[in-house]
Amino acid sequence: MSYKIAVIGDQETVTGFALAGATYAHIHTTREETLAKLSEFFASGEIGLVLITHRVVEELNPDFRQMLWAKRLIPLVLRIPDKTGYMPKFDELREIIRRTVGAEIMVRKEGG
Amino acid sequence: MATALAVSPTRMELLKLRQRVGLAQKGHDLLKEKMDALVIEFFEVLRRIQEARTKALEQLSVAHRALSMCFAVVGTLETKQVCREAKRELQMEISTRHIMGIAVPAVEVGEVERNVLARGYSIHTTSSVLDEASREFERALKLLIELSELNSSAFALARELEKTKRRVNALEYILIPRLKEALKFIMMRLDEMERENFTRLKRIKAMLEERE
Repeated sequence: MSYKIAVIGDQETVTGFALAGATYAHIHTTREETLAKLSEFFASGEIGLVLITHRVVEELNPDFRQMLWAKRLIPLVLRIPDKTGYMPKFDELREIIRRTVGAEIMVRKEGG
Repeated sequence: MATALAVSPTRMELLKLRQRVGLAQKGHDLLKEKMDALVIEFFEVLRRIQEARTKALEQLSVAHRALSMCFAVVGTLETKQVCREAKRELQMEISTRHIMGIAVPAVEVGEVERNVLARGYSIHTTSSVLDEASREFERALKLLIELSELNSSAFALARELEKTKRRVNALEYILIPRLKEALKFIMMRLDEMERENFTRLKRIKAMLEERE
């Protein structure tokens, strides 16, 4: 099936991805509005990917995490850095590895 | 621990328990194999994520730089105006793939990068800096879409891995030891009963001999 793309973030990020062809966009202002928009995106069947900036995610947590666990496989959600390149120190994927494998594991490029 | 499993010390129960232990052991082995396979798959995905992520993030920062340039040259309002005019109909194909019975997304996306004419805004009123920004963002978007597929796969696998691990541990550290404990209890009890019977018979025999 074919799906469309949604972006949630600050003005710059949204403008950029809108130029690139993302269909839905929401500029984050208040927490409530963005949460409502997000659940709208999750509920609509035609969105396949939601891009959301780390900064917004941090503001939405813990509700965001809950929604992420409750959602189905589609839409995919990807957190991206905004124009300042902001990324949290806490890496969720690494946390999951730590929990499942029971050890801190670094993935390094071969030969590097 | 034996108290946790209330069993009556009969031969029938013993046979049943033996069967249960066998079954639990088999289940445990199977789950463990599944877990190993999942771990291999998981690390493969992780390795690919690492590569895809560095590429995508680099491209994204390039795109943001191009956009800032565009804001500076063309103007913020004008750029926003153009982004309203732009065609925003990018489609992506998502189907589900199954790895070891876990549904993971398989994303297919056509060419994200578009021709200047296909973008939908008028070219003679806009600057080439804007085209540049659009192009960089299109490239970034393509990489991010690929990354999102891997990311979601990793999360799905990790979730399953956690579940499997919990089950393996429950079998290994709780159910199987308990069953074994119960088994031991029944065996001891049966042996004890046999010994009792033996002495009883001996005693009866002695009594009978005495009477003669």
